[in-house]
Amino acid sequence: MKKQQSGSSLQTKSLSISFGGHTAVNAVSCQFHPNELTVIVGPNGAGKTTFFNLISGQLKPTHGQVILNNHDVSQMPPATRARLGIGRAFQLTNLFPRLSVLENIRLVVQAHSGDGWRFFTRITALPELEAKAEHFLHLVGLSSVAHMLANELSHGNQRKLEVAMLMAMEPDIYMFDEPTAGMSLDEAPSLLELIANLKNDSSKTVLLVEHKMSVVRALADRIIVLHNGEVLEDGTPDRIMTSKLVKDVYLGNAGGLA
Amino acid sequence: MFNQKKLSLAWGNPPSRDRNQNLAYTLRITVGLVWAILLLAPFLFHDVRALEVAARICIFIVLVASYDLLIGITGIVSFAHTLFFACGAYGAAIGLKLYGGSWSAYSLGSLAGMLLAVTIAAVIGLLSLRVKAIFFAMITLAVASLALVMVSQFSAYTGGEDGLTYKTPALFKTATKLLENENGSTVKVFGTKLNGKLAAYYFLSFSCLLIFALTVRLVATPLGSVLKAIRENDTRAEAIGYRVVRYRSLIFCLSAASAAVAGSIYAVWLKYTGPETVLSFTIMIDILLMVVIGGMGTIWGSVPGVLLLVLAQYYLRDLMEIAAEKTTGIPLLPELLSPERWLLWLGIGFILVVYFFPKGLAGAMLASGEKR
Repeated sequence: MKKQQSGSSLQTKSLSISFGGHTAVNAVSCQFHPNELTVIVGPNGAGKTTFFNLISGQLKPTHGQVILNNHDVSQMPPATRARLGIGRAFQLTNLFPRLSVLENIRLVVQAHSGDGWRFFTRITALPELEAKAEHFLHLVGLSSVAHMLANELSHGNQRKLEVAMLMAMEPDIYMFDEPTAGMSLDEAPSLLELIANLKNDSSKTVLLVEHKMSVVRALADRIIVLHNGEVLEDGTPDRIMTSKLVKDVYLGNAGGLA
Repeated sequence: MFNQKKLSLAWGNPPSRDRNQNLAYTLRITVGLVWAILLLAPFLFHDVRALEVAARICIFIVLVASYDLLIGITGIVSFAHTLFFACGAYGAAIGLKLYGGSWSAYSLGSLAGMLLAVTIAAVIGLLSLRVKAIFFAMITLAVASLALVMVSQFSAYTGGEDGLTYKTPALFKTATKLLENENGSTVKVFGTKLNGKLAAYYFLSFSCLLIFALTVRLVATPLGSVLKAIRENDTRAEAIGYRVVRYRSLIFCLSAASAAVAGSIYAVWLKYTGPETVLSFTIMIDILLMVVIGGMGTIWGSVPGVLLLVLAQYYLRDLMEIAAEKTTGIPLLPELLSPERWLLWLGIGFILVVYFFPKGLAGAMLASGEKR
């Protein structure tokens, strides 16, 4: 299967997964388009992260399919999907803790460029890898800590590294799982701006799980509300914000939309 | 965008980075010196035992470095390393035994042994590197035990518990004269005869140095970086596009091949191959101790680790005998220092090293973790 030139179409067809008796994601059918930023919202346990895991391959569905460019990828391992252009960042920071920040990113860059099997050329003899890694570090503002170990970073910086690692994958489909969780208020906006800019490239699809409603309204082209593993509402921000169903089930409890 | 200035004020570069860099260079220079001494050993030490010790050190550096690729770099726990070592050794031994002391017999036997080792590694790897680390360790333990039983059962080929003795290629025979003087006797340089033993030693030490250098090199490549990533976080490595099982299987096979080559080199040096020299669990435990003492995940640590343990195994008794003699008359001390208690002191020494250098000798010098 080859990557298409102008973006990828991602589709889920009645995607479901059960753990024991509990159905975490239930018959979710959605189509995602390039040049679109979709925010997935829903209360804790609604199945947002599980939905991401199904798309990126950490979990295999019990029923249903993940379709990428008209091919069923639901049985492929995560690494294969990553190379086909499905990239994701994780909600719980998921780095290479005892490697340097630069090496964390460089690993992503070299996975993308296909240099992972080179066993004789010194990594320092491939400056283009490092240059590219530094570019992404600069983008999120981590250049000055490039040589620290990832587990020595502050929580906020670890979140930035997480985002930078996904950007360095240069996928067609970006999936961010609460990228700003636990970040300070003055750091979050610039990171979100970075994410919002991604979809300006007409071939990129962006999926974002986010809790802060102000953020969601400002960024989203489309909002999907998940509840108990099912799609409750799917539409433009304006429609979602005025939906009585959503208000009752989810947002109503949280004290309104403001 | 981001407040770069504030960030660099808050973090900056770790202040101890230069010092760490210096320590890393010191480690490399020390390791280089040890190799220089090993390569000059035949001219520096004239007794037979010293050369045996030097050869053992060279071989074990390769074994420990290749084992460190697994346990320290990639995070795979295996107890089958002596099995691969034995494959190479028995391959060479059986070749030399069956077809006489020729180069073709030696190289064919070694190659067959290495292929066997890689095949076993590939089968174990592809079948079981998907399972949890602890199960994998148990499987390798089972296969290694099986190999021990098979070697003693198939005694027609392996010599059973007694092992095999055989002829080596003519070049390596002690009676071979590399250079003759006008009287027809072997030329001596610095009191060392230029005979076949010397040729065998240089074959061994240079091969070991080459494999060690290649192992060090491997860690500095993109592949080495991927292996460390798998050790650190295999799900993330998979998520960014690396097929973890393939990489694990590859390194398991590479490490097996390297151990097998060490085995065939050792076989031609010892002119004897038996379970006690290449396959026993005592050797596996020695390798584990050497990796831990040297520093897991450093590769360079294999040199100090092996050096310390092998020297202790060979010379601690002699040292204690001298110490016991010197302390006669003082109560208790001579009894404590009597040579038969050498294992006690080795054990205490080991505990002290682990206590004071939990990351191993080389690990302590590379304290800030991964260097570029």
